Amino acid sequence: MNSVTTSGRLLALCALALMAALGGNTQAQEATPLAPAQVVKTHAYASLDPVPRGKDFQVAVVVDINQAYHMNSHKPSDSYLIPTTITPQLPPGFILVDTAYPAGHDKKFPFSPDKPLNVYSGTVTLRLKLTAQSSAPLGTVTIPMTLRYQACNNSACLPPVKVPVSIEFKVAAAGTASHPAHPEVFSATGSSGN
Amino acid sequence: MGKSKSIGLLLFAFLAFTAAGVSGCKGGGTSASSSAPHALADEPNVTFRDLQGNNVPLASLKGKVVLVNFWATWCEPCRGEIPILINLQKEYSGKGFTLLGAAMDEEGAKVVQPYVQSTQFNVGGQPQTMNYPIVLGTDAITDKFGGLLGMPTSFLISRDGKIVKKYMGGINETQIKKDVESQL
Repeated sequence: MNSVTTSGRLLALCALALMAALGGNTQAQEATPLAPAQVVKTHAYASLDPVPRGKDFQVAVVVDINQAYHMNSHKPSDSYLIPTTITPQLPPGFILVDTAYPAGHDKKFPFSPDKPLNVYSGTVTLRLKLTAQSSAPLGTVTIPMTLRYQACNNSACLPPVKVPVSIEFKVAAAGTASHPAHPEVFSATGSSGN
Repeated sequence: MGKSKSIGLLLFAFLAFTAAGVSGCKGGGTSASSSAPHALADEPNVTFRDLQGNNVPLASLKGKVVLVNFWATWCEPCRGEIPILINLQKEYSGKGFTLLGAAMDEEGAKVVQPYVQSTQFNVGGQPQTMNYPIVLGTDAITDKFGGLLGMPTSFLISRDGKIVKKYMGGINETQIKKDVESQL
């Protein structure tokens, strides 16, 4: 009887210890820093569907930044800081007219208590204005892009990283009727982060 | 018998999870944290390059207490702790201690050299450049230290070549002085 009670207690103790160990492990995983490329999730959208040859259109790259991190804006506070950039690798038949970056916001961090840094956090939208030339290939087109950023949390920084992003859309003959796509993205004035 | 098996299984599971937890914690977090102040491992057998291209084997510093500080010119928290590192070198370099700043910039000496030469840090109200040896770090080197999860990351190495403490994130001046003094 006594041995059964002891066994039962030991069993319960083990179960508690196991739960504690599980809980502890979860906390450790939460504290583990992300790999640089895991800090963001990206989505890309084209402003027209389809894009007629000869038309200007936009590509928006929406960048969701992990809430524990921030990244330097496109115009960081100091020249030694690495700016966020988006660079398209355009196929023949397309021209990059302009790249528009949102303004960052100034924020102080524990490691820079006196000097605010100009950063992106939360969700930001980077926009590229493109022209589909008369020579643009008809049908489905994919434009690869490279998002480069350098992210930090409140105490440490991750190395700069280049993340591939791509946008797929349809190109139609000149004069083809098209409609605005993703107005929720393109009618916004451009996110500037939190 | 059945209960014994259950207990055995639970104990096994507990030990397995505990072991997983310990290994999972090895890397620590990105919050300014440090591991236990006991010998963690032998210092890795690595050779850095200084900014002039000369080899600097870590083993050549054996006999000194060494703080290897992995940093980068683009890393603001690294910049924030440099005045503390300058002070450490000033205070303890005559007592058998040296700092070794290992820059992780991909562009190497081309960007690190001018930064080291010209960047002034506010050290106790006085502008000062980095006063300790700077070498170039590589991923192969940091792998031998167990890999970096972020910068700054520093390793305190005892006179006999043991890593005694790892610091992730910016270091605390009071704590690092206490740790260095405990090794001198």
